[in-house]
Amino acid sequence: MLSNLLDCVPDGVFTVDAGWRVTFFNRAAERITGIRRDEAVGRRCCDVFRASICEHACALKQTLATGRPVVNKVVYIVDAQGQKIPISISTAILKDEHGRVAGGVESFRDLRVVAELHRELEQQHSFADIIGRSAAVRQIFEILPQIAESDSTVLLEGASGTGKELFARALHTLSRRRQKRFVALNCGALPDNLLESELFGYKAGAFTDARRDKPGRFARAEGGTIFLDEIGDISPAMQARLLRVLQERVYEPLGGIEPVKTDVRVIAATNKDLAQQVRDGRFREDLFYRIHVIRLELPRLRDRREDIPLLIDHFVARFNRLKGKDIVSVSDDVLARLMEHPFPGNVRELENIIEHAFVLCRGGVIEMKHLPPDLRGNRLGEALRLGEAMTLRAMEKLLIADALRRHGGSRKLAARELGINASTLFRKLKEFKQITAARAGKA
Amino acid sequence: MVIAIPNCQGRVSPVFDVATRLTVVRLKGQAELERREVTLVEALPAGLARSVVELGVDVLICGAISRMLQVTLVHAGLRVVPRICGEVEAVLGAWRAGTLGTPEFQMPGCCGRRRDERPARCRKRFRHQPQSRV
Repeated sequence: MLSNLLDCVPDGVFTVDAGWRVTFFNRAAERITGIRRDEAVGRRCCDVFRASICEHACALKQTLATGRPVVNKVVYIVDAQGQKIPISISTAILKDEHGRVAGGVESFRDLRVVAELHRELEQQHSFADIIGRSAAVRQIFEILPQIAESDSTVLLEGASGTGKELFARALHTLSRRRQKRFVALNCGALPDNLLESELFGYKAGAFTDARRDKPGRFARAEGGTIFLDEIGDISPAMQARLLRVLQERVYEPLGGIEPVKTDVRVIAATNKDLAQQVRDGRFREDLFYRIHVIRLELPRLRDRREDIPLLIDHFVARFNRLKGKDIVSVSDDVLARLMEHPFPGNVRELENIIEHAFVLCRGGVIEMKHLPPDLRGNRLGEALRLGEAMTLRAMEKLLIADALRRHGGSRKLAARELGINASTLFRKLKEFKQITAARAGKA
Repeated sequence: MVIAIPNCQGRVSPVFDVATRLTVVRLKGQAELERREVTLVEALPAGLARSVVELGVDVLICGAISRMLQVTLVHAGLRVVPRICGEVEAVLGAWRAGTLGTPEFQMPGCCGRRRDERPARCRKRFRHQPQSRV
C-alpha cells in the first residue's frame, strides 16, 4: 500500500537496511537513476545511488549516526549513462514497530527540472546581459531601449562594480549604432597628455617617436559609441578639450592643424558625485550639463539584494562554462551569508567571491569552506549555533563587530541598527581597544 | 601492465570523479610485481586524467564515472572498465582470473541498459578481457 503510494510521488525514494542494502526503490528513483527496481533492491546503496557524497560524506550515514535528518542537500549522482545529474537529497531514520532503528530512507529530487526553470527565469530577468529582477533594475530595463534610441549623451552614475560598462554596452547594442564599434576608455587610469593622444590620436611628428599618424579612440569609434569611464577624474584642461568635442562635434589630433569632424555617441560614467564636484569647483559646470543630458543611477548590490540569488546562478553557470566544472549551486548557508553581506564592491565583488569558490570547490555545491576567509568568519552566528558559553561583554563585542561588518564599517549605521548612540558605540569601541591593548601588553 | 582501482575503505569507490585514493598494481602475467596507494588531488576531469596517465596506468577499473571523464581518459590512451563494484582485492583477483564480467562485480544498470532492454549486453565489455596480457 505504502509502496504504491511512494510510486506515485515525483521524487525518488529509497530505503536501506542497517547493512546499507537497498530494500525499496520507487518508480521515480528508477526514472532518475536509470536503474530498475529489481536490479537495485538487495544491492549496496552506494553502488546503486553513486552520489558525489557516497564516499566521503554520506548523508544517510550522518543521519543514522546523529539521529538528525539531512534536508535538501544538493549533490550530484552519476546515472547509468555516465551523466552527472544534480539532485537535492533529504534523509531520515527508519524505525521498526518496536522503535528500534531499522535503517534509513532517502528522498531525492531531480534538479535538472529546477535548473531549467532557473534558466527560463534568468531569461525573463535579464536584458542585454544585465541580470536583475529587483524594482530598481526593472525600472532601468524599461527605459533602456528609449535611451538607446535617443542618441543623446548619457551619464552613468554608480559605485565601483555596479556594472557601468555593461550598461553602456547594452545602450550601444540596443542603439542604431550597434553595427559600429563600442570603444571603452578608463579616463582615470591615464595621465593628461597620454589621455589626449589616446582620445584624439596624433599626427606624425607631433612629438619625438611619433613617426606616423595614430588614430585616437574617437576615430576608432566613428559612427559608434565611446564609453568614457571615470570621467570625474579628468583634469580641467582635458575637461575643456572634451567640452569642445561635445559642443562642436569636432576635435584636433595632437600635432594636427585641421579639425576632424566626429559622429560618436558619448556615454560617460563616474563613481563620484559629479554635481558635488561641480559645487566644489573641481568639475566644469558647462561640461557637466553637456554630459548630464540623460542620467542613469545604477543601484548598489546591497540595495537590490533580491537579485543576489539570480546573479549567483548566473555566475555559477558562467564559471562552469569557462572552467569546465560541474558545480550545481551554493549551499543554503552560503546563500544566507551572501544575502547579508554588504558588498562594498557590488556585483564585481560577488563575481570574485564565486570565482574564488570555484577554485576551491571540486564539484557539487559551494560550501562555506570554499568562500574567502573574511566571509567565512561569522563568529556571532557560529557562537550562537554552537551554543558557546560567552560573557555578556564578549557577546556585546561580537554584536558590535557583526553590525560594523554588515554596514561596511559605518559606525553611524551600525549604531542605528544596535539602537545606541554613535557616541556610545565609539566609547565602547575605544574600551574594547584598550582591553585588547592591555591583554597584548600582559602577554 | 599497470592496473589502477579507486579505493574507498577496501571497496571500489562508487564514483571515480570524486575518488581520492587509487590502488595502483603492476602485474606481470599473474604475478603482482608492485603495489602502491596514491592520493588523488586533482578535481577537474583533465587534471584527474593527467594524474592517472602520469602514473603509467594502462587499465583503470572503476565504479561509476562521468561520461566526460571517461572520454578524457580513453582519449589519453587508457582502457577504462567502468561500473565495477566490490572489494578491491576480489576485483583484482577477478581481473586476473578473467571473471570480472560476472554479475557480482557489476554495478546495477550495467552498460547503460534502459528499463525495457534485455540484460545481457555487459558480457561484451569483457569479451576481450586480456587475462594473459602482460
